[in-house]
Amino acid sequence: MDALSITSDLIRGNTDTIILAQLRLGDSYGYKINKAIQRKTRSQYELKEATLYTAFRRLEENGYISSYWGDESTGARRRYYTITNEGRQALERLKAEWQTAKALIDALITDEEETDHAG
Amino acid sequence: MQDKLRAFIDTLFEDAPAGKKVVELKEEMLQNLNDKYSDLLSEGKSEEAAYNLAVASVGDVSELLRYLRREEGDSTREQEELMRYRRRSAVVVPIAVILYILSVIPVMLIDRQIGVVSMFVMIAAATGLLIWNSMSKPVYVRQDDTVVEEFKEWKMQSGHRRQAFRSISGAIWSAALAVYFILSFITMAWHITWVIFLITAAVNSIIKAIFDLKE
Repeated sequence: MDALSITSDLIRGNTDTIILAQLRLGDSYGYKINKAIQRKTRSQYELKEATLYTAFRRLEENGYISSYWGDESTGARRRYYTITNEGRQALERLKAEWQTAKALIDALITDEEETDHAG
Repeated sequence: MQDKLRAFIDTLFEDAPAGKKVVELKEEMLQNLNDKYSDLLSEGKSEEAAYNLAVASVGDVSELLRYLRREEGDSTREQEELMRYRRRSAVVVPIAVILYILSVIPVMLIDRQIGVVSMFVMIAAATGLLIWNSMSKPVYVRQDDTVVEEFKEWKMQSGHRRQAFRSISGAIWSAALAVYFILSFITMAWHITWVIFLITAAVNSIIKAIFDLKE
């Protein structure tokens, strides 16, 4: 397993957080969300569409997002997603969880332990 | 190339259960894939390369398929409920009909007063059975989100109206039955009081017409 796939495993665990964070900026649709993710990560990361749509369904089932079909005058219609109030609350919770996890992992993988013993 | 992408999506969901949700998901994915494809073309990719990149970005759909199957399972439960209702109706309705037919026997065999009373008790029981059966018919509420929001709203409204009409109709028939017996026993004018049922049927039709017009 190369470094990149470990990174994407880590990110995939936070798919819901990422999508909710994107939707808090405004209603959006699948491809637009993925483009925003690509832009923000300078093309280092991109969600697989299957992952994205599974997450949409899961989030909608939990009541964190809702969807509607847009009425574009040209071309086919797009399904837009919008974040609900519950979704906003969930996002804050998930962000806090991520901060906790980040702090824990940082504490576990830095080499400070030895200096503590010495002192 | 759109056709090629559509064909690809179709193959992807070959094993998916047929249903509105799947059709919608396919439409959504196809639209997004098309967007991606045209973006890749405008970046200067060849048609072939753009198609391959777009297809590669879809990834593993097995989890998505599991979701779709589970959602489909929900509506199967509703179908089962409907089936149970049909089986029950197949028993209840004939019983009611038999009661109607047999109700004249007491009048022919027993002396007048008790015979007539037991005839109407049988009729009442049969009518009650039929009303109960139709009132407890499961309402088919589909839980899936439909293609268009307006359609969803319309469907929900009309669903509510239909349910409201059924309740009103049930109440009217029960009330008519009560009025029929009370009037008949008070006036003993059995030969004419049955007209109440004709009037009730007319009133019921008028109410149904009003509901239909509103829709």
